[in-house]
Amino acid sequence: MSTAKSLRLAFFIFALITLQACATYYQQHLDFNYEFEHGDLQQALNALKGSEAESKSKFLFFANKGLLLSVLGDYEESNAFLEKAFLFGEDYRINYFNEGVSYFTNPNFTVYRGEDHEHLMVLYFKAINYLKMNQPQDALVECRRLNIRLNQLTDKYSSPHKLQRDAFIHTLMGIIYQSTKDYNNAFIAYRNALDVYENEYAKMFHMSIPEQLKKDLVNTAYWTGFMDEFQNYKTKFDMQDYTPVQPDAELVFFWHNGLAPVKTEWGINFVIAPGPGNTMLFTNESMGMVFSFPVEEENDRRGLASLQIYRVMFPRYVERPLYFQTANLEANGGEYPLQLAEDVSKVAFQSLRQRMLQEFAKGLLRAALKKVTEQSLRKKDEGLGALLGMVNAATEKADTRNWQTLPHSIFYSRIPLVPDEKNEVKLKLLPGEGSGTDYSFTYQPQKGRTLFHTFSSLESLAPSYSF
Amino acid sequence: MKKPFAIILLATLFSCQQSVTRVAPDTQIDLSGRWNDSDSRLVADKMISELMASERFKEYAKEKGRKPAIVVGLIRNKTSEHIDADTYIKKLEVAIFNSNVAEVVESDEFRDKLRLERTQQQDFADPATVAQWGKEIGANLMLFGEMTSETDTSNKKRVVNYITTLYLTDIETGKRVWYGQQEIKKFVKNG
Repeated sequence: MSTAKSLRLAFFIFALITLQACATYYQQHLDFNYEFEHGDLQQALNALKGSEAESKSKFLFFANKGLLLSVLGDYEESNAFLEKAFLFGEDYRINYFNEGVSYFTNPNFTVYRGEDHEHLMVLYFKAINYLKMNQPQDALVECRRLNIRLNQLTDKYSSPHKLQRDAFIHTLMGIIYQSTKDYNNAFIAYRNALDVYENEYAKMFHMSIPEQLKKDLVNTAYWTGFMDEFQNYKTKFDMQDYTPVQPDAELVFFWHNGLAPVKTEWGINFVIAPGPGNTMLFTNESMGMVFSFPVEEENDRRGLASLQIYRVMFPRYVERPLYFQTANLEANGGEYPLQLAEDVSKVAFQSLRQRMLQEFAKGLLRAALKKVTEQSLRKKDEGLGALLGMVNAATEKADTRNWQTLPHSIFYSRIPLVPDEKNEVKLKLLPGEGSGTDYSFTYQPQKGRTLFHTFSSLESLAPSYSF
Repeated sequence: MKKPFAIILLATLFSCQQSVTRVAPDTQIDLSGRWNDSDSRLVADKMISELMASERFKEYAKEKGRKPAIVVGLIRNKTSEHIDADTYIKKLEVAIFNSNVAEVVESDEFRDKLRLERTQQQDFADPATVAQWGKEIGANLMLFGEMTSETDTSNKKRVVNYITTLYLTDIETGKRVWYGQQEIKKFVKNG
């Protein structure tokens, strides 16, 4: 067989493989997603293929497995997988060969490194698992890891317009410290959380400070002996008559409401034209976007200019809107509303939005490199060049991987319990319209204990865009 | 065709490798500008030298007619960072112990564990070796402390001033016998 024929065959096979792989990450895991969204978690767990532990999406495999096992109550096994997800984040190094190849194919050729908030959520689930197993010292280790991750996040983004801090994670740290009676560190964590809710979260997500956080901040200031801060925060929150009461036992209840957004893709057409000096301009007038790339060789510039229009794919999130809007707990004659602490969906949108310029630049560089390669090949063999053009178009694809089993939003509340007795707690979930759904739980805590419970409701409304 | 492949080759050559180097524990390495091991060491060194040189502490020991016994009490942290005070308190304890200027007695958390062990010994240990009740040394002084910080930021610049104060208080009279203070001011520029 001649070299040209061999190359043609190789391209054909390559094109076939890539065409098969053009589904989004969600579509590639339809069986898993079907079982998970229908609440059959054991079946969903079975649908997770073990071979993915060695794949370029291994972080998502570990994270999904850890989350599912946690919901199923197998906390030890869950933490084994979540630890793998954590260590993946710790040891992750850019593989520049894969990065390089991704510029000639698509970003799915690279290892999925995980979004910032996904790495924080790994440690959230891990800490909660330890607390449910009554291993507070191990939960504190996760707490310290969270602190390091939060510091890294602050250092990573220097712009105040980017999400540098996570209010919920600070709140969680406070809750963990408080459960171990370390009121001083709990106070610091709550105060940091308050700062983020009042500033970044209020501006970016229009969120208000959870009432529970206000109480916890005032309580821990009092229990640490920071009387000035105790008085100041009572005044600030208009809680003049509030008196901290240490319950004999209590429950911290987290409600995981709905499902996180799904990453999908969208394409933009760019007009390619020569720019000043040795540059080429990629322009989309309707979106007001112009990107300039240096292209040294005149032949390459001419070749690119002759292509005129090129379509580049970029990632985008599609929200899965909440079905249940509010919820509250009833226990021992009291009613406790569950308060929004983290809108994971909005955090995900924000994280992608703030690096969209980088995504555009990477996508266009990919397009430019693909086209320069195609043009060079056309000069030698028009047929092969055309074939490469087809393969390039077929492989053009955005990275649509994300942790899709995370909740849409996390709500929480703290309720006092009577120690050494059976406490009946009723959870009422209320949708925007129609009647609500009730669940009942029984807790029998020992004196001085803080119990932890997470409840996941996977119901979502239909998204505005199919994925 | 040559240039794109050259890019890949270049990228492969510059692949990111992790490296680990062991350094002397007293090497000052500042990365983020937050509280770190160098700050803990500075605080411990200053507190140790101030306590050893304190005339009032020496006078107190002389008045007692024996080495005073110190117990570590509460170290309050009012900064915005989660700082483990044990990083410098343990160094101070070791210096006190080695210098022989005072006795160090266990904190309440560890005393509880000792008492539990002593209780169990009464039933299970050889009577000749059983630890006796009522022999604990009562502390004369309790070590307290407070950490505060003030931060000023503007754009990518940050100034933070940490103040760590430790003091020894006579448990019987409530009188403060010794003060030690260390200020650490940092100027951090990002980018």
